[in-house]
Amino acid sequence: MALTIAVHSYKGGSGKTSFAINLASAYASVGKSVCLLDVDLKAPSSFNYLLPEAKHWVNDIFEGRYGVMDVIKDVSKEMGTKGAFYVGYSNPDILAVREVSSKDRKWQSKALKLLMTAKRDLSDAGIDVVILDTGAGVDFTSVNAIAVADYVISVGRPGASRQRSMEQVIGGVYMPLDKDCYIIENMCHNDNPTDLSGKKFDLPVLASIPCMCDVAVRCDNEVLVLTEPDHSFSKKIYDVMESLDKITS
Amino acid sequence: MTDNSSTEEMIRLLREISGKLDRILIQGSSDNEPDDGILDVLDVMTLLTLPDHLRTTATALFELGSATADELAERTNKERAVESNYLNQLVRMGHVAKNRKGRKVYFSIGEGLGK
Ligand SMILES: Nc1ncnc2c1ncn2[C@@H]1O[C@H](COP(=O)(O)OP(=O)(O)OP(=O)(O)O)[C@@H](O)[C@H]1O
Ligand SMILES: [Mg+2]
Repeated sequence: MALTIAVHSYKGGSGKTSFAINLASAYASVGKSVCLLDVDLKAPSSFNYLLPEAKHWVNDIFEGRYGVMDVIKDVSKEMGTKGAFYVGYSNPDILAVREVSSKDRKWQSKALKLLMTAKRDLSDAGIDVVILDTGAGVDFTSVNAIAVADYVISVGRPGASRQRSMEQVIGGVYMPLDKDCYIIENMCHNDNPTDLSGKKFDLPVLASIPCMCDVAVRCDNEVLVLTEPDHSFSKKIYDVMESLDKITS
Repeated sequence: MTDNSSTEEMIRLLREISGKLDRILIQGSSDNEPDDGILDVLDVMTLLTLPDHLRTTATALFELGSATADELAERTNKERAVESNYLNQLVRMGHVAKNRKGRKVYFSIGEGLGK
């Protein structure tokens, strides 16, 4: 079975998408066969501007129009990775976003089934790692992805209020769905490390990534683990990959 | 009694206890069943509100797509009879559909007749 990781956060803008693209690229760069799916259907991620375009959308999977293998596109040539690097984008057109936002529970139940099927198809196709970049908060699009994943990586910015909200989502969503969860503290300030693992759940923190101005600028135009593997941001991502290898082996 | 057979006896007893506990859980949770017979679609938010044992069964069924009680019990490491009980409870709640194919009965997440 492909290792399936949902990258999630309770509050938005914590760095999920930056982390997901770079982690996927890190796996592909060491020769793993990877699939990165943008399942943030309500606020599609910017990686369809960063990575080469595809013919179909992740939305087509949920509508039952296409199977996942017809939707994803191998960008390993363009990105120069050793392993296959498949990506699937969600449709950024506002009409598509509005349509998804009005879906009822019955549609969402079917969407979960189709996502489970997609996971099986990806495994059957020999994909090693599937990374689901989810939307922030608790709604169908994010929780469906969490339900499908084997592991949840919760990306959070430090701070007491964020800590409390993270505990809510751990206790109310990740745990009841029986997920193994890990935390990435992102945009930390060096002299003020706040531990997001929390007294309540004591989840492992896989990395504490400092807030870096150049990361904020460059993440929009390049994939740092590929363009500058020695950057301290890239090194943190490679460390996370190694930790995950140990956890899952 | 040799060491081996006493371990086996212990495992057998533990299984029995586990089965009994499961049956008590079923009885306890059947109070929560809707009595108005609304057939309700099982989405992920509804899944979160189910009692633990039913949520485990339903999640495994989402993963398998369609399965017999035997296949499901293998997945969840529970007794077939217990799993079959949970499945039928989910059927009564309208979350799960039951179909007979030849001599086998297959369960799958239902399409929901309600909204
Ligand atoms: N360690 C960091 N230091 C500085 N800036 C960062 C860091 N990590 C991410 N950023 C920047 O923060 C912004 C938000 O990041 P990103 O889009 O990855 O967050 P997100 O959690 O996916 O947001 P959303 O909830 O909207 O999907 C981006 O401009 C990104 O470049
Ligand atoms: Mg994002």
